[in-house]
Amino acid sequence: MNCEVCQLKDLEVEHFEIREVLRCILHTIVFHRALGLVRPKDVDLELFDVTYVQCGDVELEKKIDEKIEHFISWVEKHPNKKSQICLSFYEVKNKQPYWFTNKIERLYWEQWYINLNVAQHPKAHSSKSHNSKVVVDPGEEERIARRAAVEASLREVLFQIIKFVNEKKDHVPPIPNGDGVVYFPHEITIPRKFLSSS
Amino acid sequence: MDLQSNLQPELGKLEQIVSQFLLKSLHIILDSRVPSLRPHDRSGDLSLGSQVRKSDKWFNLVLGDRPAALDNLNFWHRNVMDPMIIDVILVHQGSNSPSVALGGSVETVIERWVVQYEYPRVVAAQTGESSAIHKKTYKKSIILLRALYSQMRLLPAYRIFRQLSTSSRTYNFDIIYKVSSFSDPFSRAEEGMMEEYSFPPVEAYPGRLCISVTYRTTLSDFNLEPSTSMTPKIITDYVGSPNTDPLRSFPSSGKGVSATSFPLRGVQAPAPVPLQRPHSWTSGFHRAAFSAQNQPFVGSPPAYYPSPMPYDYPSPPAYYPSSMPYDYPTPPTDIHGNRVQHYRVPTHQKAIGYDDYQLSPPFSPSPSPSSPSYISNAYPMQTRVRSETAPVSIPLPMTSRNFRYLSPNSSDPNRSSLPPLSPRSRKTDPSSQESPSGITYFRKIESLRSGEMQPVTANHYTGQKVTRDSKDDSGRFSGLLSSSGSPRIGFSRSSSRLSFQDELDDIDFTYPFDVDDVDTSDFHASQNLEGKKASEFTSQSLPIGRKSQDAAVGELVRMLRTAPPLRQDPSCYSSHSMKTELEGGVATASGFFMPRKTVDALEELRSFREMKELLLSKSGRVISKEEA
Repeated sequence: MNCEVCQLKDLEVEHFEIREVLRCILHTIVFHRALGLVRPKDVDLELFDVTYVQCGDVELEKKIDEKIEHFISWVEKHPNKKSQICLSFYEVKNKQPYWFTNKIERLYWEQWYINLNVAQHPKAHSSKSHNSKVVVDPGEEERIARRAAVEASLREVLFQIIKFVNEKKDHVPPIPNGDGVVYFPHEITIPRKFLSSS
Repeated sequence: MDLQSNLQPELGKLEQIVSQFLLKSLHIILDSRVPSLRPHDRSGDLSLGSQVRKSDKWFNLVLGDRPAALDNLNFWHRNVMDPMIIDVILVHQGSNSPSVALGGSVETVIERWVVQYEYPRVVAAQTGESSAIHKKTYKKSIILLRALYSQMRLLPAYRIFRQLSTSSRTYNFDIIYKVSSFSDPFSRAEEGMMEEYSFPPVEAYPGRLCISVTYRTTLSDFNLEPSTSMTPKIITDYVGSPNTDPLRSFPSSGKGVSATSFPLRGVQAPAPVPLQRPHSWTSGFHRAAFSAQNQPFVGSPPAYYPSPMPYDYPSPPAYYPSSMPYDYPTPPTDIHGNRVQHYRVPTHQKAIGYDDYQLSPPFSPSPSPSSPSYISNAYPMQTRVRSETAPVSIPLPMTSRNFRYLSPNSSDPNRSSLPPLSPRSRKTDPSSQESPSGITYFRKIESLRSGEMQPVTANHYTGQKVTRDSKDDSGRFSGLLSSSGSPRIGFSRSSSRLSFQDELDDIDFTYPFDVDDVDTSDFHASQNLEGKKASEFTSQSLPIGRKSQDAAVGELVRMLRTAPPLRQDPSCYSSHSMKTELEGGVATASGFFMPRKTVDALEELRSFREMKELLLSKSGRVISKEEA
């Protein structure tokens, strides 16, 4: 079984937008890959006029939020860098168990790379101080335009996800048994190449 | 023959997958586009722990209760080969007509979804085991439906759907739908404004499942905005009877009453089925502001009538022999006889290899196990609707936004247009749900008073006092002053003013504007009090018919204020300034509520004035608003 890789479009986000954007993207991907019984839950983003769908599972939400926090702390330590977060789906294959080695192999069948360029803060502040007299803050207009651009990019990414999940379906393994919401085993990581470049 | 008999179970499974796929996709689309069909507010907090219907588990996507409209699909979409075309239609004002007027609505298809099972002309040889094939088909269908669900939220129409369904405001547009097996093609101009997106099809041997959408890329061309008609305003000082009937009617005025989208309640009789469109139905109900003629009322009655179906099947393709466990007659002809001949639900079926897919229900003999239950559910809903809906031409959903909506009711003077009950009183009064109760009570009052006072010709309710339920402290009275063509004035008092009410509890005050729904026990208890006042009313019969409504109200107010006080309290409203302010027609009986702070009364006056202004503006007069 081959591993399908999807590189999502780059997103230019500000620091405070990371959480919402990542939540949106990660949940959307998982929603299309959690093929067990699901009661979808619509979630509206606060910063953008975008609605995405969650699986409605509290555990999953927690797990994703944890990973996002982990990513944010990494970004704070490594500013001005292109950041990437990877969501991988795998199958657990038990290798033949020996006495001392009980290898559990992970066969990755799909990987999603979310590319974020986290913008810097000072820009916003400087524009404010210079134009304090102006009634209509040009910085504000810029922010609005930027926000709209991010929203449009986010929508494009979501469309990209939907397109990808539909085009590549043959590699998806059979749905595992289980009660409630069933997910394929997955993990969220920051790729090593980024970790090592710090 | 052996081959065909072997194929039958497989084809039956496929047929079930396909028909459930169609049903599910219709459910997703309608649920995400048509606000009036939403059976309840799915906030997303529902956990999977709550019981999930078997039928809802198809494709592992729990959507909640299906609207009754979907039940028609089982009956209608017999032929899984026919495409299911769902038009999402925006009903809005025409660009030329700035104001909402009857007949000024325009319908535009903003999205057209086509869900179909494409059957190839040449069937490729089957490679692989059919059960494995169906497993894959099912799994891929799950993914496709998930994608559809997400996509519904990314397209432009979702935004206006959310506006309609979540906002408490009323808008000048509505969304309805039409399901059909064919559709008129778009004009070139329309096509130019639309884009198409097709989901990659899912292989479902021998054919494939396809979903595509043609959608408007932008909806900013339409003048979609909150309705400019009178916004419902909460009257903080409303005083009404605890047993008040819910407000029944909001008849449309020229200005367009309220831009609510009606739920699909089968109030109107269906249009006759045109023979050239046998497979379609639509939600044709929208606000009264829009012309009824513009409804794309093609085909079947509104979907909330699951049966009997007035469909004619002139020459439908027959895929189902008479052994079908469906409850409608077998189509006579067989068009595609050379193709799939045995699309029949097998009598015995096992969930072969599908248990691990949590396919619930598994392929079973009965087509849609829950359809009978849905039908039965729909009926109680209908009867419930009927018992609740007053005999008005425009049924409105009993939503909070309609609460306390003041409007002239020119249709029936006897009909009481009263604010909805407070929850408590609603529970306690069993007769509160019925509109006639108010009317019967009224007539009782009339008969009682016939000897005491002269009948008021145009103003039925004026001069009649209705005993306030002294036991009730929910704080709601209804003040009615109605005659044909006259506005109704409702006085409301929020529950936060209960302390005020408590003071009045021991007063058997009869509020002249109260109309009905007061407990008869209280009524009897206050007979003596009413008797006291009767003389005043008879001596000062209201000038009605000739004078304006406002003058009548003013007269009434004067009467009340000159009535002997129930309590000795010199600080009641007897100031001339108050009186003159009230001349404009704002009625208040605040003077009777004692003791009372002046501040409270002034606030009440303010609210009454607002009410008056609202009413006047409603009747088309230009008034200057004193406060926002």
